[in-house]
Amino acid sequence: MKFLSTALCAALAVSTVQGFVTPVSNNVGVASTSISNNAFSVASSIKEQRMMSQRELTVLAAEATKITMPALSSTMKEGRVVSWLKSEGDEVEAGEAIMVVESDKADMDVEAFEDGFIAKILVGEGESAPVGDTVALLVAEEADIASAAAAGDVAEAAPAAAEEPASGESDTILDNATTVTVDGATEIFMPALSSTMIEGKIVSWLKDVGDEISAGEAIMVVESDKADMDVEAFEDGYLAAIYQEEGSTVEVGAPVGIIVPEEEDIAKISAQPDAGVVSSSTSSTAISNNDSNSNTEAPAAAADVPDCDFSQVDMPALSSTMKEGKVVSWLKAEGDAISAGEAIMVVESDKADMDVEAFEDGFLAAIITEEGESSAVGAPVALIAAEESDIPALQAYAASLSGAPAPVAAAAPAAPAPAAAAAAAPKAAAPKVAVNTGGRIVASPLAKKNAEALGIDLSTVVGTGPDGRITAADVENAASGAGPKKAASAAPAKPTWTPAAGVIAATPMARAAAKKAKLDLATIQGTGEFGRVTLDDVKIATGEKKPERKKAAKGGAESVELPSGLVPFTGMQRAVSNNMEATLSTPVFRVSREVEMDAFNALYQSVKPKGVTVSALLAKAVALAIEKYPIINSSYTPEGTVFNEDINIAMAVAIDGGLITPTLKYANERNIMELGENWKELVQKAKEGRLAPDEYNSGTFTISNLGMFGVSQFDAILPSGMGGILAIGGTSEQIVPCDKAVLGMKKVAKMTVTLTCDHRQIYGADAALFLKEFSAIMGNPQQLLL
Amino acid sequence: MAIIKRSALITLIFAASAKAFAPNTVAPRTTFLRMADDASEFDFDVAIVGCGVGGHGAALHSRAQDLKTAVFSGNDVGGTCVNRGCVPSKALLAASGRVREMQDTAHLSDLGIEIDTSAVKYSREGIAAHAKNLANRVKGNLEASLVGLGVDVIEGRGVLTGNPHEVKDEATGKVYTAKDIILAPGSIPFVPPGVTVDEKTVYTSDGALELNSVPEWVAIIGSGYIGLEFSDVYTALGSEVTFIEAMDNIMPTFDKEIAKLAERLLIRDRPIDYRTGVFASEVTPGIPGEKPVTIKMIDAKTKEHVETLEVDAAMVATGRVPNTKDMGLEEMGIETNRGFVAVNEKMQVLTKAEDGEVVPNLWCIGDANGKMMLAHAASAQGISAIENIAGREHEVDHMAIPAACFTHPEIAMVGPTEEQAIEMAEKEGWTLGKSQGNFRANSKALAEGEGNGIAKVLFNKDTGKVVAVHIIGIHAADLIQECSNAVAAGTTVQELSMMVHTHPTLCEVLDEAFKGAVGMSAH
Repeated sequence: MKFLSTALCAALAVSTVQGFVTPVSNNVGVASTSISNNAFSVASSIKEQRMMSQRELTVLAAEATKITMPALSSTMKEGRVVSWLKSEGDEVEAGEAIMVVESDKADMDVEAFEDGFIAKILVGEGESAPVGDTVALLVAEEADIASAAAAGDVAEAAPAAAEEPASGESDTILDNATTVTVDGATEIFMPALSSTMIEGKIVSWLKDVGDEISAGEAIMVVESDKADMDVEAFEDGYLAAIYQEEGSTVEVGAPVGIIVPEEEDIAKISAQPDAGVVSSSTSSTAISNNDSNSNTEAPAAAADVPDCDFSQVDMPALSSTMKEGKVVSWLKAEGDAISAGEAIMVVESDKADMDVEAFEDGFLAAIITEEGESSAVGAPVALIAAEESDIPALQAYAASLSGAPAPVAAAAPAAPAPAAAAAAAPKAAAPKVAVNTGGRIVASPLAKKNAEALGIDLSTVVGTGPDGRITAADVENAASGAGPKKAASAAPAKPTWTPAAGVIAATPMARAAAKKAKLDLATIQGTGEFGRVTLDDVKIATGEKKPERKKAAKGGAESVELPSGLVPFTGMQRAVSNNMEATLSTPVFRVSREVEMDAFNALYQSVKPKGVTVSALLAKAVALAIEKYPIINSSYTPEGTVFNEDINIAMAVAIDGGLITPTLKYANERNIMELGENWKELVQKAKEGRLAPDEYNSGTFTISNLGMFGVSQFDAILPSGMGGILAIGGTSEQIVPCDKAVLGMKKVAKMTVTLTCDHRQIYGADAALFLKEFSAIMGNPQQLLL
Repeated sequence: MAIIKRSALITLIFAASAKAFAPNTVAPRTTFLRMADDASEFDFDVAIVGCGVGGHGAALHSRAQDLKTAVFSGNDVGGTCVNRGCVPSKALLAASGRVREMQDTAHLSDLGIEIDTSAVKYSREGIAAHAKNLANRVKGNLEASLVGLGVDVIEGRGVLTGNPHEVKDEATGKVYTAKDIILAPGSIPFVPPGVTVDEKTVYTSDGALELNSVPEWVAIIGSGYIGLEFSDVYTALGSEVTFIEAMDNIMPTFDKEIAKLAERLLIRDRPIDYRTGVFASEVTPGIPGEKPVTIKMIDAKTKEHVETLEVDAAMVATGRVPNTKDMGLEEMGIETNRGFVAVNEKMQVLTKAEDGEVVPNLWCIGDANGKMMLAHAASAQGISAIENIAGREHEVDHMAIPAACFTHPEIAMVGPTEEQAIEMAEKEGWTLGKSQGNFRANSKALAEGEGNGIAKVLFNKDTGKVVAVHIIGIHAADLIQECSNAVAAGTTVQELSMMVHTHPTLCEVLDEAFKGAVGMSAH
């Protein structure tokens, strides 16, 4: 149960609980090193300290390493966590980059010093922390994540909860790892000068005991694996004691000296050369785990710890979100012999049932958490004895554990209490259990039982349970010869392509996002190429993004992508809408007429090769009709009718994202070829948005032609300032009576036109006459070519 | 002056165009521009096989010595660099880099710019055309300069005949003679065994430069310069990338510290993941929309299958091999090593790598000799070879040749990696010094909002001379030249630290490093 704080990369000062606890006050005088006599103890000398503070007990529940904000340069005072490269629950290896820290000089990767799992992130992305502050907790075993995380929560909340009985100073352990302030003293620790530095040699002390020191001043020279470097003091004060003389090599993080704020404090420190930092409270309460007699204040452990070789099985954290677990079944009974690697119980977590294995040989001495009961993660669920003879003693101890008020039964979700119990118990090397992950056949107990009964070799059965675990159903299928049933949610259906076995059909970013969100990719419907899961798919699954219509699968029907939401008007669209609103005050009337088109069509066919367009011909026809009835070309003013000398025919053209009316000026006066050329040019300009204002707002009469779309008839809105607009529908063939024809009828192509006029100066008869003239021109179109 | 020069050049072009037919009608040689002795027993003083940047550089320098020069272009004026390498890839990087910048809302908003990223659109065809047009333009310029300077460009591929002084035009079978022959055949992409290239879904840099698609997911086999640059292009245009690297570390050829930073800046924050220590043992092309590209990967050590990927495209960027097959080397008694032609420091061809003898009047420059597979190195070697041909002994200092990777930000270097420098210092008995400048401490870089990056100067503490410089950061490729010059000239950090750098510019990053090397502070 070590809790050591390790600075990453280049922390100039790091504190460890080791460093903090080892110099125990003389008042108590129970050296924590005494536990090394215990056969179950881990290598670390500091474990099982019983602290006064509930909070520390909690922290100690896990084998947590503090990750502190490193000093990336000699001038760096605080650092900002740019990004976490690992999430809570992620496994990290020593040397692997876990976060990016921005200093005053550069962004740098910060590496982990040891293997483990990120249990808790205390400083989020974008947040800053002073150099030396704890930014995250690292635990050695995945199982410890939950308890350490819970501890981290408490640590975060610590400043608010100032309910510590006598250990006010101890806040500094968690809140500021840089300085362990005890009576104002600051310890100097061996800094990590490079990412690979494990220990450092003190080449020379630049200050002597008693010397005054100011912050930023170099106090010693340390030789690392890369270079010799000056180490600076972070605060003003006096060098009170040097623990490590020149030439000695010390582990990173170990205390090498102490700085006190006042000169008179020097004497106090030097009077107790072995004591190190003198504290009236916190550190003096750290005691050996085996000597529970002296720990009268510890809340949890009530019973004597048996003096024998045993280990404790804790409730493992089977997933990063697991807070407590239910013992589904014990696969071993009390008294059974156990060998390392053997599954001893099945635990149900929030995600799945899993076998839990023993880490070492021994005997299941006592079950603390019975089948069907739940325990908080990290709480003891059983004891394993090394010797069969020790079982009775351990059972008595177990009874005291389960009977104690603090642990298991009272397990709150936040789990401080059971964690405390765990701390109190004489647990040896971390949890002695592991989640079974590989190598061995993973099968549910029922599956095993059934397989045995049916005589089926489990190694031949394909598991479909979580993590490929063999379920009872798999065994049944194997027995009946049926293949494994695929989970309905698995393998997104994609008719055109089925990924080969073992292929994860997901893009790199989808994989990363799914891992982060702890989603099973198999449950996500992929919409990418070949049915692949994309980042968007994962985002939709996590609710981060709203599903949107994707392109249909290749070979399938193309699904329609419909626009939605507000699309702001373009300048042109706004102009159109404003113009349309402005027309509302104009009293208009409409007159329609059918126009025979056969002659016109024949003419058009004859001139088409010359490049004459229908638009030009229509404009010309309208212009000629206007010559006869100029009132149609007039505009209204309150004073009277304004006649326009020029006949400028505007024709509405739909262009991408709008509507514009390029204008053929003097349409009555120009020949059809010229009009055609001009029109082509105007349309081109309109498409390119190059029309000069004069080319689209000089119209005196407008044509709107939807005939080419097969529209039978329609009416147009009269633009403000004009007298009329002609809406041209499509041409259709009709059978009409005809005396001259053999059958008494003939086929005629007809087009319906509708004239909208301003009734303030133009009357119905004017419109009718104009249309009659227009019809006549269309019926005798040769004049258009003149 | 400039005007006079230009008109002279025009004259040259006219003159040369008249002579373009000369090689086929060998007999009446004009001496208008050529100083070569008409009585010479050879058609040319120098014949250059290959017309990449190396051959081109050699040809220009050859003409500058008034040597009668022919280049066998093999219908590939410009070679790999111009047509299928550095040049078109810069066009892709420039365009895609712009797309990346315009989509980086966080960066833009730091600068006070707001942009609707959905409005940032690009046309794949447009970008591909930009690359193509650029290549054509540069190729045209190259060709014009050859013709303009009076180099005879022979379109066929040149091969040796086995007789000294002879080069055969493979296209016409015609044999030309030259006093000296420079081989500059270049290199071609290396395709590992098991990989089937269709240049559509599985392609080398040749196919990648055509940018025929922007795949949803592309695997890039190899994480060297080429792979890295293409990952930059692809991710900017919206692809996700998986690197497949056979070595244990990504970007194995780079300086470790730089590679680490590069991983953060160019890989980690982008839609890229990678596998290291694995071979792509079997790569099968796909059919767009019907069948993905399948990549089977095996462990580089155990050779056991580790994973199969199904991706939309795979780019093979596993290095390049010399393009020296079937060019008559064997006939000349020359033994190649994996295709590489052994040369001495003067670029003279040796019969073999170990204890080979000099083949008289035969030279080899560029990728084919494998000394340093970079366009500008080839050109330098070509110039050096001509110097030696002209009777002035010359050797290229390869330690002073810079290299750059045009990612965003760029990586540039000159000299050995820190790991190599440590070894060198130990072996040669000198002390290695190291100093670093930081882009985060540079006003110009901060103004650009591009504070990421470092410049690392490695120097000999005993002499003060610069050994190597590695830069990663904005415009690193443009910053390296000062360092390259320093290495070439043997300038010391003491001298460099006293040289004034323009303020405020990115080159102050180097100023900081040079000053730091001698215990000064730049700021």
